[in-house]
Amino acid sequence: MSTINTIIIDGMAFTLPLFIMAIGGIYSERSGVTNLALEGLSGMGAFVGALAAYILTQQFGATSQVPYYLSFVFAVIGGALFALVHALICIRCKANQVISGVVINILAEAVTIFLVKTINRGVFGKPSDKIDLGASIRFTVPGISKIPVLGAFFTRVYPFEVIIILIAVVVWYLLYKTPLGMHIRACGDNPHAVDAAGMDVARIRYFAVMMSGALSGIAGMAFAYSISAKFSSGFFVGYGYLSIAALIFGNWTILPTLGACLVFGMAKSAGYQLVMYLGYPSAYQDLVMILPYVLTLLLLIFLSKHNHAPRALGEVYDKSKR
Amino acid sequence: MKNNKVLRNAVISILIGLLAGAVIILILGKNPLNAYYNLLQGCGLLPKAKYASGRGMATDLLSYIDFLTPMLFAALAVAVAMKAGLFNIGVAGQMLGAGFMATVLVGYSALPAGLAKPLVLLVGIAVGGAMGALVGFLKYRFNINEVVSTIMFNYIVSYVVSFFINTRYVDAVSRQSKVISAASRLTLQDVMIGGYKFNIPLGFIVAIIAVFVVKFVMDRTVLGFELKAVGLNNTAARYAGIGVGRSIVLSMLISGALAGLAGVTYYLGYFASIQPRTLVSTGYDAIAVCLVGNSDPLGILLSTLFLQIISKGSTYMSSQSGLESEIASVITAVILLSTTISILYAEIIDRIRSRRADRKGGETA
Repeated sequence: MSTINTIIIDGMAFTLPLFIMAIGGIYSERSGVTNLALEGLSGMGAFVGALAAYILTQQFGATSQVPYYLSFVFAVIGGALFALVHALICIRCKANQVISGVVINILAEAVTIFLVKTINRGVFGKPSDKIDLGASIRFTVPGISKIPVLGAFFTRVYPFEVIIILIAVVVWYLLYKTPLGMHIRACGDNPHAVDAAGMDVARIRYFAVMMSGALSGIAGMAFAYSISAKFSSGFFVGYGYLSIAALIFGNWTILPTLGACLVFGMAKSAGYQLVMYLGYPSAYQDLVMILPYVLTLLLLIFLSKHNHAPRALGEVYDKSKR
Repeated sequence: MKNNKVLRNAVISILIGLLAGAVIILILGKNPLNAYYNLLQGCGLLPKAKYASGRGMATDLLSYIDFLTPMLFAALAVAVAMKAGLFNIGVAGQMLGAGFMATVLVGYSALPAGLAKPLVLLVGIAVGGAMGALVGFLKYRFNINEVVSTIMFNYIVSYVVSFFINTRYVDAVSRQSKVISAASRLTLQDVMIGGYKFNIPLGFIVAIIAVFVVKFVMDRTVLGFELKAVGLNNTAARYAGIGVGRSIVLSMLISGALAGLAGVTYYLGYFASIQPRTLVSTGYDAIAVCLVGNSDPLGILLSTLFLQIISKGSTYMSSQSGLESEIASVITAVILLSTTISILYAEIIDRIRSRRADRKGGETA
């Protein structure tokens, strides 16, 4: 397999989860609720999904594909319910949304790691700090995958990549082509107009924030499968923040955000391949790991001038204020 | 009146956290009172059943103070930024950067203690301050959200430091950076007094001074007033002729410098080496400490003393009761969560109070 193919294959497996998480962020932020909690939401989703997969695997046997797909359903539920906490703090309690996001992240990390250890010891009877997932199956589309370079997009694909693309299309349609999507976007720019039109701003925002949790849950589960095939404290490495950076470059719109995610994903996997290619010792991986983060900063420096955040982003909606 | 409310909210939040912790401990079939008693024992605030030779309650107490010193600096760092309306979640990265530079520049040198210790503090202030100021500059010049940039710097610093440790300064046995010289360490190790061994944290004295300096600067100087004005209303501050950009950079510089002090008291004080690829949780926990302390230096001193009991004592509690020590971070997180929703129970208390007032009014009529 050529190096370029490997870069594309690994790059897509990283890009797509990042992308779906960023779409979640777009939903929340377009509705006017700042969401720095993506990291924690994806972590909670991955934890719930991983736990479900582990239990279901014992039920269905290791060869069954049922736990794999059901784990994503549970991750969606876990992420969405946990996002409700963020929504309640921001909308019901009118707290500072940035602080709430960080609190959610701290809470998610503390709770999941504690629960993993406690459940492993107490329920499964083996002290361990991780939930093992079986390695995800991967498939190659016959025929098309033989095309040079482009074929790589159809080689050794994780099933979740297909799920993510399908969902991305649906939520794109929902946000831009339906009345509900318009209401969500209006809530972020002019909530008073939405209110005047007879819509409930709070309810729309609750929906949007829970949507971000659901989508982050999918991303978290995908990361858990693709990167380490387990859920442990090592899950929290800041990809949630990376996806926030991606949606900021994407100017809070879905398609340009995909572009930003592609840049991150390809830079990361290309960096890895570079170290392998040059034959440097593994310590040099550390230098490569900073690539997406440095890229984020540089892109922010060059692009942030042209960015327009939703106008009511981060503001608590107050009916009496005009 | 306002101070009373703040104190009440903090106390309620802490109680909710402890209560939630107690419920979890009960569910796990353990006794929460015993567990909390163990926490206090682990910090030398209550006597343990038995001690290893040369160790006593005061040994544990000093170790607890040594342990909380970096947190005090870190929480002050968060507070200074927050006063100016900025959210410094890069404390962990600033700590690591400052700790690493101080380790390399001073920790591995042969300087005598009298020179090395002040130099460690200075390097910490300089490196942390520079990192903070850079974030402030990016915010002011390019309008980059400081939350995103500080987190990017956290990871960048973590990986870069890890790279240098693994290629140059690694200890072959511990897989951490080589231990620094005793002369440069801010905590005096194993000092024998009256037959007991003590670790004396010199950094704590500096931290207490920092509490009062920050308090003074914030409440009594033009600089503090300007920072607070920018934090409260950016636009109004600009119209009042305050240099908003300068204030943003300055507050991040001070915040970073305090984070740098947290770093050197952590990596060259409580510990004497750096573990590669690891960001300490102090940076995030400091946000909890700062919020519970209402971003006020004296409030922070109290909340640090209290919350660090949970963190420090959790190891001993874990060994005594078999609970996972991670429960400490769960309790801290719940306390943090309750402070953010304090408006909810403030509403509830107000409602009860007004209902009671109504009833009283009815009786007199």
